[in-house]
Amino acid sequence: MNEVIEQAREIITGYKGREIRIMEVCGTHTHEIFRLGIRQLLPESIKLISGPGCPVCVTPVGYIDEAVMLSLERGCTICTFGDLIRVPGSEKSLAQARSEGADINMIYSPDDAVEMAKNFPDKQVVFLAVGFETTTPSACLAVKKAKKLGLENFSILTANKTMPNAYERLKHSADAFLYPGHVNAITGNAVCRKLCDEGVSGVVSGFTAAELMSALAVTIRMLEKGEPFFVNCYPRVVTEEGNIAAQKLMKEVMEECDTEWRGLGLIERSGQRLRKEYSDFDARIKYSLPEIKGHSNAACRCGEVLQGKCRPDECKLFGKVCTPLHPVGACMVSDEGACSAYYQYDR
Amino acid sequence: MNNTVTLAMGSGGVQTSELIDNIFKKNFSNPLLTSDDAAVIDFEGGRIAMTTDGFIVSPYEFAGGNIGKLSICGAVNDLACMGAEPLYLTCSFVIEEGFPLEKLEIIAGSMAETAKKAGVVIVAGDTKVAGKGQVDGVFITTTGVGRIADGISTSGAFARPGDKIIVTGDIGRHGCTILLSRESFGIDADVTSDCAPLWKNVKACLDAAKDIHVIRDATRGGVGTVLYEIASQSNVGIMLDSSKIPVADGVKGTCSLLGLEPLYLACEGRLVISAPADEADKIVEVLRAMPDSENAAVIGEVTDSDPGKVIMLTAIGAKTLLARPGGELLPRIC
Amino acid sequence: MCVGLAAKVLSIKDGEAVIYAGGAKRTISAELIEDLAPGDYVMVHAGVAISKITDTDEDQAGKIMRII
Repeated sequence: MNEVIEQAREIITGYKGREIRIMEVCGTHTHEIFRLGIRQLLPESIKLISGPGCPVCVTPVGYIDEAVMLSLERGCTICTFGDLIRVPGSEKSLAQARSEGADINMIYSPDDAVEMAKNFPDKQVVFLAVGFETTTPSACLAVKKAKKLGLENFSILTANKTMPNAYERLKHSADAFLYPGHVNAITGNAVCRKLCDEGVSGVVSGFTAAELMSALAVTIRMLEKGEPFFVNCYPRVVTEEGNIAAQKLMKEVMEECDTEWRGLGLIERSGQRLRKEYSDFDARIKYSLPEIKGHSNAACRCGEVLQGKCRPDECKLFGKVCTPLHPVGACMVSDEGACSAYYQYDR
Repeated sequence: MNNTVTLAMGSGGVQTSELIDNIFKKNFSNPLLTSDDAAVIDFEGGRIAMTTDGFIVSPYEFAGGNIGKLSICGAVNDLACMGAEPLYLTCSFVIEEGFPLEKLEIIAGSMAETAKKAGVVIVAGDTKVAGKGQVDGVFITTTGVGRIADGISTSGAFARPGDKIIVTGDIGRHGCTILLSRESFGIDADVTSDCAPLWKNVKACLDAAKDIHVIRDATRGGVGTVLYEIASQSNVGIMLDSSKIPVADGVKGTCSLLGLEPLYLACEGRLVISAPADEADKIVEVLRAMPDSENAAVIGEVTDSDPGKVIMLTAIGAKTLLARPGGELLPRIC
Repeated sequence: MCVGLAAKVLSIKDGEAVIYAGGAKRTISAELIEDLAPGDYVMVHAGVAISKITDTDEDQAGKIMRII
């Protein structure tokens, strides 16, 4: 084992102070923390809470219903990240729509969807644009490219989200945030520094073993000192100002809107939608989608899980009605979701 | 529960077992039908193993093979897992109207070549042509019979604490190859299918070490799924050392791009072996000296703790449960 | 959220870069990074280079640990 990891491990396992709660905001952090077995190393007094940073988890039921409607009723070709395929809608998931004949394609980049639209002019291609600040620029690039190519058979269904107001909503749920490295790579650290000025602590972390372990060690030591702090523990990727070209691009193509987070409800100005100038590429307008209010299971406690108010296994649906194969709630649908990770690794 | 068949029910994970248990095992149940790769049948003068396997791979041609080669390897390897020398195969074709004869010739050619390499004879066949759109190109089902030498007995239920777990090569290449050719990910990786007939490799292991407990073909669902099956059938725990698992560069790169776990990618020429610790090194040495198993390695061991579970020793020296096999393999990106 | 891949830039043309990571190659957008050159390492997400990488994770962790 690497020396730095060893050193960080000693700090983490040797912690003897008061109970501290650290929220890893990003779903990929949750996933890697489980995969590396970091939870197994933690003393009782360090609690890791899995936050809302998995776009699949926080995408509302109604969004899946819209995508299903586009594919089955409007005859569109859906291009999506694999993550969304088995997320349950009110009645069916995209996987179920596919078994009924819908044309659903997994892609790696939104650009692949533009290429598909270009190569198959007879298909009406819709890209399912989910994700946070990290992912939104790729959707913006796709829209701009489609516009440049004059493609009339490409559009996107937006559910893009931004983190700042989610942090506001969750800032009392933990002693420190483990901020999502790749979001900060785009946005820079201003929001985190501002939160720090308000007394909300956190560090931004990368995703490898060395990065996660060192970021956790720093968090623990800084919490012991007692002063609010922000430390960039991922400087090889995250700069203070972030990716300015990406920020400009997002402002040019998208604008703020209020949006619903599965499990958390409506958060003001935490969504992104296409600006008027790009409304030709807005699938909701193009295919005149009605407003769809999805319905989800009332017993589901995902909202509380996302805020660290309840452990996954404290929900009565967990592991019985709600499993990774037959997910009910937001946190069970993606491998990154807190409930799914808990189910797969901890049971 | 779904009331129609879904793709996930064919992916080799939990949903596949549910489908088999709820429909097929319920109707076909008998003492010879087990969860192993082939059935072992007592016969006058000895024991035979028998297996059958259907192939519907799309695309039917891929880097490193085609559906024909696959159909022979599948049957041969299933027999080899029971320690049976493959003797005879039958094959049944369902061909879509309009399928190019030239392609069929290529497929049949690879079947003949692979059968020869594996030392097995194709003794009967059947051909059906289905209307356009009723099948996708060509589907092949092979059935194989093999003879088991005296004193050899392997099963997924025979793993014992203290055994070492061996894989016969780097994992996940077939699944990775098919994923890249089927989906529009635009990834260019130097990966070819691991598809290969492995009886000769198994024979060499059996000659070198008589006491092999488990041999399993890690096809659909990958090595991870097979390990969970062994852990459950044998009621033991399995501890893997993540740093010891051989994964080719192209597979590793593709998996990191798409957020996939190589342990759950299909192989078509990789076996998982559980054997006593004092035999393990000899087995690996024998395998490494042969084609199609040059990268064989000990990747873990069988434990009496954590029965039914597969535990990973991770890069930071912690132990964590290997995520359980899920349904359809879905890239995780956003 | 946001699976990233550290990859090496092999070539650049018209705002697109061919990147290489552990045996896999793919063309991605290089539009959001200025002055990208072959040989640079970038963090790639969903087909877009989002940032240049300036250090290895372990060296970085070493420097970070020195803060505390």
